Amino acid sequence: MDLHARLEDVFRQVFDNDHLTLRDDMTATDIEGWDSVAHINLMFGIEQAFGVRFKGNELADMKNIGELKQFLSGKVTA
Amino acid sequence: MTPNGLTPVGRATSADMPEARGDVLLRQGLTQQAIQSYLDAVTIPATASLCLKLARCYDRIGNHSEACRWALSIVDASDDYTTWQAGWTLFQRNAQRTAWPAARRVNVAIAGSYTTTQLGTLLRLAAARIGIQIDLYESPYGQYQQDIIDSGSRLYRFSPDIVLLAVHEGDLHLSEFSSNPAEEVQTEITRWTSLWNVVTNESRARIVQHNFALPCDIPAGHLATRLPGSRYMMTQAVNTGLGQAAGSAVSIVDCERLSAFIGKQRWCDPRYWNMSKQAVALDALPLLARHTAAVIAADVGLSRKCLVLDLDNTLWGGVIAEDGLAGIQLGHGAEGEAFVAFQEYLLKLKRKGVILTVCSKNNHTDAIQPFQQHPEMRLKLQDIALFVANWTSKPENIRAIADTLQIGLDSLVFVDDNPVERDIVRKFLPQVDVLPMPEDPAYYVRTLSQYLLLETASLTAEDSERTAQYQARAQIKALEASATSIEDFYRSLQMQALVTPFDETQLPRIAQLIGKTNQFNLTTRRHGMPQLEAFVGDTNYVHLALRLRDRYADHGLVSVMIARQDGNTLDIDTWLMSCRVIGRTVEATMLEHLCRRALQLGCTSIRGTYIPTPKNAMAAEAYPKQGFSRLDTTDGTETWMYDLQMNGPVTNPFVQSVDSWDPPHGER
Repeated sequence: MDLHARLEDVFRQVFDNDHLTLRDDMTATDIEGWDSVAHINLMFGIEQAFGVRFKGNELADMKNIGELKQFLSGKVTA
Repeated sequence: MTPNGLTPVGRATSADMPEARGDVLLRQGLTQQAIQSYLDAVTIPATASLCLKLARCYDRIGNHSEACRWALSIVDASDDYTTWQAGWTLFQRNAQRTAWPAARRVNVAIAGSYTTTQLGTLLRLAAARIGIQIDLYESPYGQYQQDIIDSGSRLYRFSPDIVLLAVHEGDLHLSEFSSNPAEEVQTEITRWTSLWNVVTNESRARIVQHNFALPCDIPAGHLATRLPGSRYMMTQAVNTGLGQAAGSAVSIVDCERLSAFIGKQRWCDPRYWNMSKQAVALDALPLLARHTAAVIAADVGLSRKCLVLDLDNTLWGGVIAEDGLAGIQLGHGAEGEAFVAFQEYLLKLKRKGVILTVCSKNNHTDAIQPFQQHPEMRLKLQDIALFVANWTSKPENIRAIADTLQIGLDSLVFVDDNPVERDIVRKFLPQVDVLPMPEDPAYYVRTLSQYLLLETASLTAEDSERTAQYQARAQIKALEASATSIEDFYRSLQMQALVTPFDETQLPRIAQLIGKTNQFNLTTRRHGMPQLEAFVGDTNYVHLALRLRDRYADHGLVSVMIARQDGNTLDIDTWLMSCRVIGRTVEATMLEHLCRRALQLGCTSIRGTYIPTPKNAMAAEAYPKQGFSRLDTTDGTETWMYDLQMNGPVTNPFVQSVDSWDPPHGER
């Protein structure tokens, strides 16, 4: 699975939605249920799934799909 | 990771293939076929990701009860936060649709010093796994003290059964270094005990207190251990003090131990604290939730009390009937030592009040041989309350064990190295819990020590004598079979009862009985310690505690009666009896003493109430059998009346009432 599909899997699990599809221009406001609690769960889920660690401010600010993928592609060998 | 913290090795490769096939089928939208592939992939215990996938598939095709079952099995399969969160979402949705049964509903108010939203969710999942439906209230962030102190707060309006103090080390009012540590520690202990007192005064709730995990980051370094005034040492002193101060209404979850178990670095992740005030890292929350749920289960009387042990490759290595006494692995050598360690751990559990029974497919003579003759056996025959070795199926034998000991199947835990036997028991006796045994006997102890349903809320004197009592029960079953009439049988037991008003020292045992007795319980009113203390102080109430002994054993405090005087009538509020002494006429003795009290108080009648529940059908005949007549039935609740003037007091010729336990039985 490529990075996009793996990320999508994490989102589907966290937001309990099998049909959720990601686009690079999506932000937190485009996805139903992406509140502060879901955000923590999401960040933690991504850390676990990809074996990465966000820094403090990245953890708080990473609310854009394109940005997330860029960050991950720099750290992960997909 | 499995619940025991071990990663299973060497069995994943062949199972991977059907799981991957299931993934493909699922992506093609073929849910039914995907389920079949996933079920093919299930090992025992199943991995967390498979449990979640199966729950998701069953959710999708609308099979709500299977979705619930697999979502809950995530709790046994892993401590992975993300899987637990997803599991809860699936469980909650499907449980509503299928009216998933719960043994208890418990209102839990979380009063926390950090963000407890995530803990709350996971706690509900862990509790559901052990039969508890939790309804949750959370104090607003940073306001747990106000919420507890203000008697009109939302916390009390929620009418909690449990107030959970989910607090962390950073919240302690302790300085980094104190010149008067004793005073500072005492002040801090008093702050917490005062909160406990407010809760017990303002509500009927019990308290579950998280104690304080020592942090990783200690400015004083190793020197801290030499300085009683360091915050590090004072924190330990507070933990010790809270343990000592916790009365019967308080249970402690030992977060210090849990944080050490999982590793301090995992327990606390400063990034998540900085961002959203998560004092316990998400990674550690499933562990904390599971242990908190187990303590709550013990509080509400849902812990298990009896282990059903296999023999070959469970208590010793090898097969006794084939390898013989000299051939089995026990003591000497790495594997033999593992079995000795396991037996020693079982003995410690026995001393805590856990009942040990044996259920083995063996000839009886072969099976008992090591117990009688092997020098390295730590367990002796007298440690085993009931020994069953034959060629009948395990589910049948386990049923017989429950019947003989007169305990529910839901009190049993099955311990067997053989995955097939475990699966059969799980399938045919779902009420029996099955220990997820690891392959390597070296980890048997760890698995059992991480098994949570053997938690107990308090230790009473009765607990350590349980095995003798249950052995006696098994002997009595045998006697019952040989007695010519039931009256002969009752007489042959030479029963004696000591019936007294409640006294202070008995209250923990009485609360324990009230909390967990389901079968012979006429009204199932779960009075807690505060109410019991109130009854004792109120002259309108008659309260009786009955201890029973016979020629075989002292059964301890086994029956409780609480009645309120209402003019010329004594109204029975609570009447229950431990299932260990059912079918022995003890009911009549309790009523005999109630009649005596009624006559002393000038009452002319006794009123009884029977409130049916799914479990107390055996108590339905209690009143009619003793000569009560039915007054009324409303919504299933029956009211019964006993006319003292017309019928005279109830008496029981089979149980001798005594005024004290001296002299010992048989010597009068």
